[in-house]
Amino acid sequence: MQLKQTLIIALLLSIISITAWEFFWRSEGVITSLDDNEALWAMQRSRVETATSTEVLLMGSSRVLFDIQLNEWEAETGNRPIQLASVGSSPLPIFHDVVNNTEFNGTILVGVTPGLFFSTTLPKAQPWQWPQSKVDYYKKRTYAQISNHILSLPLQENLAFLSDDQGVDGIKLKELIGKINTGNRVVDPMPPFHEFGKIAIDRNTVMKQITVTDTAYANSVIKVWQFFMKGAASGPPPDKAGTMAFFLKDLKKFEARGGRVILVRCPSSGSLRAGENMGVPRVKFWDDLVNEAKVKSYHFEDYNQLKDLICPEESHLSAKDAKYFTKELVKIMKADGALTNLKTN
Amino acid sequence: MLFNSLSFVVFLVIVLGLYYSKIFNWTGKKRMLLFASYIFYGIWNPPLVILLWISTIVDWITGKKLATEENKRKRVLWLLLSMVVNLGFLTFFKYRDFLLDNFTTVVNTYGYGYQSAPMDIILPMGISFYTFQTMSYTIDMYLKRTERAKTFLDFALYVTFFPQLVAGPIVRAQDLISQFYEEKKATVNQFIWGLFLLTLGLFQKVVMADTMLSATVEKVFGSDKILNFWDAWMGTLAFSGQIFFDFAGYSTCAIGIALMLGIILPDNFKYPYGSLGFSDLWKRWHITLSSWLRDYLYIPLGGNRYGVVRMYSALMITMLLGGLWHGAAWTFIVWGGLHGTYLILERLQRQYIPFKITAWNGMFLAFTTFTCVNITWVFFRAKEFKTAWNMITSMFYLNPDGEKVLASFDILKVGVIIGILFLCHWFMRNTSVEAVSKKIPPIALAVVWALMFFLVAIAQGSGEQFIYFQF
Repeated sequence: MQLKQTLIIALLLSIISITAWEFFWRSEGVITSLDDNEALWAMQRSRVETATSTEVLLMGSSRVLFDIQLNEWEAETGNRPIQLASVGSSPLPIFHDVVNNTEFNGTILVGVTPGLFFSTTLPKAQPWQWPQSKVDYYKKRTYAQISNHILSLPLQENLAFLSDDQGVDGIKLKELIGKINTGNRVVDPMPPFHEFGKIAIDRNTVMKQITVTDTAYANSVIKVWQFFMKGAASGPPPDKAGTMAFFLKDLKKFEARGGRVILVRCPSSGSLRAGENMGVPRVKFWDDLVNEAKVKSYHFEDYNQLKDLICPEESHLSAKDAKYFTKELVKIMKADGALTNLKTN
Repeated sequence: MLFNSLSFVVFLVIVLGLYYSKIFNWTGKKRMLLFASYIFYGIWNPPLVILLWISTIVDWITGKKLATEENKRKRVLWLLLSMVVNLGFLTFFKYRDFLLDNFTTVVNTYGYGYQSAPMDIILPMGISFYTFQTMSYTIDMYLKRTERAKTFLDFALYVTFFPQLVAGPIVRAQDLISQFYEEKKATVNQFIWGLFLLTLGLFQKVVMADTMLSATVEKVFGSDKILNFWDAWMGTLAFSGQIFFDFAGYSTCAIGIALMLGIILPDNFKYPYGSLGFSDLWKRWHITLSSWLRDYLYIPLGGNRYGVVRMYSALMITMLLGGLWHGAAWTFIVWGGLHGTYLILERLQRQYIPFKITAWNGMFLAFTTFTCVNITWVFFRAKEFKTAWNMITSMFYLNPDGEKVLASFDILKVGVIIGILFLCHWFMRNTSVEAVSKKIPPIALAVVWALMFFLVAIAQGSGEQFIYFQF
């Protein structure tokens, strides 16, 4: 066998094909992106172990992830918060983890997306299972997983074809095969979903500009929210009593050791907001929570500078508006004395 | 550490760099390989390396004693020590909760209302493999079938050699330890061929098992519905492909990596889905385990030396325990029992209705064998009997109104992949990848190699664990 010759040709063909693949996807508009996976979340979670009482943790669902911008927060306060929010998730499992498994006694901003916060405490329900899986991963991650993730970061940051997007935007082989659809033997009721955010290594997330400029793109995301809202309407009702009791118990424990909690309701708009107002009305849910929790709390509707913000896909702010929202929110909180121990230049 | 991970790529480059550098003499290289093997294992869960050390020390001492001890009673006691330690680990870590569950069920049948709390003990990766490997050494020493390892370093490396530590091939002492006695260095062709095998193994695992088949398997076996005929069959066929590509992929990687170090490991798979009957299947599927079970269980139980009844009993016990080796659940025991039954029926057929296998009936026989094997895979994959039974009834067309969970393309995809897999195994059954690669032009082999590498790169699996790691 002339294996040397074979190896050289195989090596050349591999380099050519992978380079061509990378250029092809870049020409199709695919950009390099990090995967917002459990390993990336765990990197931030590990920072909590050494976080001091002057630091701020951000928890909640994707609205906290998109709407609170770390650069603007840091510019206003001198502190860069630790981003622990998780898409499609109730904040309760992560709050429970930090309260019960760490000695952190700084400030925790908890984003309240009513449909998720008040949804459930059932371990197998998605709003609970997704964040809990991140917590579990952090607790059980092996040195091999940590090193794999660290090694993967520079590759993810430099090669577009390694994008881990799923669904219609997915370009991994599995996703490409999954997009092939022949016949209608089984119909997937979920509309196609576009990934509309880009996350950084510290999990600072911004909305992709195409979501703002391309109405069809934004509408496709809105259709997905409508699909979930229909599902929620026909599913079990929110477990307000259970979720509030769970949260208040941890809150009490956290406050007892000197921790502070801030509740924030981030903007939503259009049909999604109308749906939220109907399914989880403010008076019955947010107001009750605020009354029971007795912590600093901020609802975007209560502030002139925030109440008219429009979300391009009805649930999250554009990159530009998120910066504005963060600056204004921090100003409001500072004026209200909610943020203390600020670092000043 | 998984072969399909970035950490392993870095690990392997460092190990190969040190192995082929002039820093170490042969003893130093073996020490480096041993240390690297502990890193390879310990990076997953460091404390569990202690189990490896205990197993190594106990079996080293046992082997040493058995080499000199002539007193029969004492020899038996030394062998028992090794058995108790190795099987004790296996029982505690793998079978404790299973035994406790069954004990609780039996006790509660008599109305005691006993409650047991499962300990949820972590299963040390590859424990079934390395305990069987070390036990083969002590049993062979007891039976005076092998020489004692010359040094502790050689023996420790035999137990821990990283390419085959966590999922085999299960190698006999005489086949591996003796390779450590003299300096090993791969020839250029061996090294390149090892690299080719590593690529082939990763292609089997990352592209075929994880990318092409695993989602279909999960859809079918994860469904709590009673399924349609086609969905049940396609899910099962997809699993037959997934488990082959996953496990054969691991073995191919292991053989390739060892070859890059100049060490030869035995084949573990020889196109099993092209088997002509079940005896043939077990000479082709997980060969090193089936030969282990034959030599250390079936033959000691009497084999075919004491009449038909004893032979069939030995066969059935061997297969039932083989099933239990794969997992602590009754579904695995049923899987083993079905294979035992197939083997018995095949022997009866050979005795009472013999026929000559020709080119014409051969493929039909292989197809029948493959179909029967698929029935057993249902029990192997299903988490519960209820799921398995629902699948089996659907496969026998007893649920004509069953749910459809697979899209048309899934069915087409699985049909094409498994069809090609079966034909490949049939046509390759008397040859090997190496033999075929020698017959084709270097450029054609290079194109195949580059294509496999390209597909591995664009599949970029999320480092999913190999199925056999859990056994």
